[in-house]
Amino acid sequence: MPRAEPGISTVTDTETDSGIDDGIRSGLSRADGAVIAATLVLLVFLYGTFWGGTGAADLAHFHTADGREFSVPLDADRTLELRGPLGISVIEIRDGQVRFVASPCRGKQCIHAGWLKQGGEFAACLPNRISVAVRSRDRHFDSINF
Amino acid sequence: MASSKDPAGTQALTLVTTPQDHRIAWLAALAIAIHVAESALPSPLPGAKPGLANVVTLAVLYHYGWRAAAWVTLLRVLVGSLLIGTFLTPTFMLSAAGAAAGLAALALGSRIPGMGPVGLGLMAAQAHMAGQFFCAHALFIPHEGLFALLPVLMTLAAGFGLASGLIVQSMLPALQRSRTQRQPPQTSQAPQPPQAP
Repeated sequence: MPRAEPGISTVTDTETDSGIDDGIRSGLSRADGAVIAATLVLLVFLYGTFWGGTGAADLAHFHTADGREFSVPLDADRTLELRGPLGISVIEIRDGQVRFVASPCRGKQCIHAGWLKQGGEFAACLPNRISVAVRSRDRHFDSINF
Repeated sequence: MASSKDPAGTQALTLVTTPQDHRIAWLAALAIAIHVAESALPSPLPGAKPGLANVVTLAVLYHYGWRAAAWVTLLRVLVGSLLIGTFLTPTFMLSAAGAAAGLAALALGSRIPGMGPVGLGLMAAQAHMAGQFFCAHALFIPHEGLFALLPVLMTLAAGFGLASGLIVQSMLPALQRSRTQRQPPQTSQAPQPPQAP
């Protein structure tokens, strides 16, 4: 790298001197403070966006044992009875949420999953081969890219 | 050697460059040692580690400029992955993506007048995490559920970036002293004995 030397020395001299002097003189510089403030804003934004309750689901997407796939909107309360190899699983839709109420499986993991209400949440009864995922309509296509 | 083939200028420059290369190699070795030692620490989350090797990167940035910092970082990622055994695995790709993003942030940040090591450390750590995250999302786990991890990962990155920034901040007087020692004998190759200021 015959050309590296001039590059290194110019970068060192022009870009780092001011930073070092400032750092020694006054602990944190104003630019440091700006970065810290921007970091806090970014973190608040991230928690608000990805952990806040923005993505309320409005669609439940079912897969059943016979290979059917269908979506049910969550705005109307209803109860679905879906047949699987073990028997009938009962699924309840109420107040924009969906849950397994009863299923003829042993572990009852699907029932313990509880209410699904945030877009992207998912519950399945693997023994009875029924799954439900809830989605928010505006981000409907985000989850089919894999 | 082989001066018949080389134009005269190249050889002169090569003589000047060599100690720089040695220095980069020494610093990279230091960064690699920290990198490898850290990889032995258990981590609660994939992608989260203290990144103390970035202390070396920041110090090199202050001492020798961005190019040297880039060299040290790239050598660390490459050799570190060879030593740990993750070369060309997803871990390596994430590491490389993060390093590239972090270096870009450092290039940007070191142009801002008055930017101290704390600001640079924060910027670099968060850029590193973001680069790593979007690499993971693009290549390995293209699922929107991954975004639920992003706030936690960025919080960790901010904490670790702040920590390494503060470490470098506390190193500044020593760095400054060795800089002024280095400056006057610009052409001499041997390290000078320490002189009391």
